[in-house]
Amino acid sequence: MSFKKQLLFSGFLLSFLSVKAQKSENLIPKDAVTVFSINNINLFQKISLDELISYDFMYEVHQELFDGSTTGSTLKDSGLDFNQKLNVFYGKAQKSEISGFSFGVKDQQKLFTVFDDFDLIEKMSNEKTKVYGSFFNNLIIRENSALLIRVEPTMDYISERTDSIWYARGNESPFDYFGDEIEEPSILDEKVFGEEEEVIEEETELFPDASEDPNVKNYYELRDSVQLVLQQAQLELILNELLVQNINLPSFDSRFAIQLTHNSEGVFYMDNARNIDKASGLWYFQTVLPSLYKDIQELYAGNVILGDIYLKEHAVQFDITAEYGVGLGAIYKEMNDSKFDKNILKYIPNNSSGYFSYNVNMRQAYEKAYEIIMPILSEEKNAQIAMNVLTIELLNEFINKDALFGTYKGSMFGSFNGFKKIKTKKIEFFYDEETFEYGERVAEAEEDMPIFTYGITIDRKDIPEKILKHMGRLTSKIQNKGNYWIFENAIFDAAPLYMINKNGLFILTNDEDLAINHSNGYASNKLNRKAGKKAKKSGFMYANINVAETINRFPMDVLNDRQNEIIQTLKGKSGSLELLSSKTTIKKTDFKIEYTFQGDDTSGKHLLDLINSIYIVTK
Amino acid sequence: MIKNLTILLILIFSLSSCIEIMDDLTIHADGSGTFRYNVNLSSNKIKVNSILALDSLDGQKVPKIEDIKEKVQQFIKTLDAQNGISNVKIEENYTDFIFKFSCDFTNVLLLQEGIKTTISSLTKEKNASELNHNWIIWDGTKLTRSIPAITMNKVKDLKQNDIDQLKLGTYTSISRFDKTVDKFSNPSAILSKNRQAVMVKTDTYSLKENPNILENVIYLISNKN
Repeated sequence: MSFKKQLLFSGFLLSFLSVKAQKSENLIPKDAVTVFSINNINLFQKISLDELISYDFMYEVHQELFDGSTTGSTLKDSGLDFNQKLNVFYGKAQKSEISGFSFGVKDQQKLFTVFDDFDLIEKMSNEKTKVYGSFFNNLIIRENSALLIRVEPTMDYISERTDSIWYARGNESPFDYFGDEIEEPSILDEKVFGEEEEVIEEETELFPDASEDPNVKNYYELRDSVQLVLQQAQLELILNELLVQNINLPSFDSRFAIQLTHNSEGVFYMDNARNIDKASGLWYFQTVLPSLYKDIQELYAGNVILGDIYLKEHAVQFDITAEYGVGLGAIYKEMNDSKFDKNILKYIPNNSSGYFSYNVNMRQAYEKAYEIIMPILSEEKNAQIAMNVLTIELLNEFINKDALFGTYKGSMFGSFNGFKKIKTKKIEFFYDEETFEYGERVAEAEEDMPIFTYGITIDRKDIPEKILKHMGRLTSKIQNKGNYWIFENAIFDAAPLYMINKNGLFILTNDEDLAINHSNGYASNKLNRKAGKKAKKSGFMYANINVAETINRFPMDVLNDRQNEIIQTLKGKSGSLELLSSKTTIKKTDFKIEYTFQGDDTSGKHLLDLINSIYIVTK
Repeated sequence: MIKNLTILLILIFSLSSCIEIMDDLTIHADGSGTFRYNVNLSSNKIKVNSILALDSLDGQKVPKIEDIKEKVQQFIKTLDAQNGISNVKIEENYTDFIFKFSCDFTNVLLLQEGIKTTISSLTKEKNASELNHNWIIWDGTKLTRSIPAITMNKVKDLKQNDIDQLKLGTYTSISRFDKTVDKFSNPSAILSKNRQAVMVKTDTYSLKENPNILENVIYLISNKN
């Protein structure tokens, strides 16, 4: 090879390496626990920035953008490099919470018309890397990639440090300042006219007067200072790791690095093993039983969810793999090793708006969990745990597991069958024509009621019969009607609940028609053969939802705020959602979610909507 | 507290497809009388129960029945202590969700003043303009009345989605007298057969569209005639 050729080759290699170094995914911090990496952001070129920042997954950073300066702009105008991935990430560890996104930069000038509130932080910048800061976030630009990040120390960590300093200074409990207990705002205390003045009065009462000694910080001022220092320290730690030591998520977790090589429109990563740190229920183990906590962490090791997003014409497909570590994998394998109960198909009507089946074997899962978890617990040198172990072991010996798991085997199904008018009673006022004096009378009324059916597979039908028989003696509201049981006014003290205990199933429903006329199933009106076959062929889980009929008509009142948000993202859409799962092995379970839709919305918009739903679910 | 009750009502308005409200004002010759205000949600008890089962709605805490009962008792106690108001009662039916308020008053000015003072003392609503609105004026032979402005204001705040449901609700306003009614201004009003009571009825949607729809000036036949 001639020198010239060698030079050319070296130049090519260098430029290739330099392109590699500029990849936006290399700016994802290793502490990110959940990541959406979108390969094909060309799809979003036409989506306005205002629309983009209205998504929940943009919330943490949207303050920078949502200041009016972006009105009328699209991503295309923002200086982004559409040949690089857009990576949205979130992570929460014990000390801090991080969120943000990394992306390619094509035109820095245009970029700063969007991120117009950032100032250069010179002490953190160098020739290669520029660090900018705003009130909430930091923007790091390195060559042709950028990272927008927000780092927040956790409140527990801030409080721990603040308390430590506060008490070390000889102070007493700061909470003595509070006189009365602060009431949670109630809907009965709606904000009204002239309220502002009072709020100021309340605040004055709540917080100690700093003017008593302006040189000494009160507890809250100290906490603010601690928060600021910890935030800075955590940011520096993360940036040092990312930019100096070059440790990023792809280099830290090869599973994510492999996922990034997939030829899909986007990839999804969630490290469940690290996610357990944010499970607040485990704080007791973390602090009081650290060795047990470590064992639990080990049990979770290797648990990760990886996904690919594929866009098709009028469809978005998610291929998801849940990978397990050895311990949990063994439990899941036993749990999901259950035969599909085809009896359930008889109780799902062919016109059902949405239904699911879930086949698990609780007995096998219990036996395996007992085998894996009990030795871990038995090792723990703690009196309380030892007593718990003894109790569990005795229960394991004394309890009739055949009866228990014969009553609740673990498999279940559910269906949402639209709305029906149900008959209720109402009181109405009537007026005497002579005097307009009024009286009250009971009248028939009708209310819209969402019709749900939920059933479990059962071997011991005699046990619920026993319970219902004795409950029926206690209250006349529970009655045996032959083919079914009825519990009058069980639902919100107004509508009856029906129970069908037949064909190896125990079914709860508010569908009078099902109980009275179809206690043995819908016969020819049952779920069609093709749909039934799909459900049967799917692994341990299957779901099919007609979006227009189910989501758009779902009674939002029965959901909590979080569930509401998820449903809202799908509202107004048409099409269907189908969830399929594979057989579970000791290492993994595969899931496939396909969302097919009609209408003029672009795939990019649908994709963002779905990403948002997943973000809300996983955050 | 009426505000509180009204907020609760409006909350329930917005989620109920069929609410029945009735106010009933009796004025005797000496200006004293009885005011009754009934709210009937029995045709929507499933929905009301489902709301009460929630922790929060639209970012605000949903009160438990015990909280509501406590507030109702506070209201009764405070209103009963007001000058010119006595015999304050609220019948609460949490099975069918029917609430019946009644009180006696010595004159309509004291009734309105008492309600205003009670609301002001129990809530933060000290200077609400709606509290200054006099919805009953009585001069001995002529009654000019509408419905409490606070109710109308809350109805006006409802979203289009809620309003569609309001079309199924009703508001009935009754005025009763010891004397015979001569004439009245509201063409929708009807007169009882004994000619001593006037009733105006509308649906809650129409009330939102036209807050004056229940306004009425009722003239009584004077004794001289």
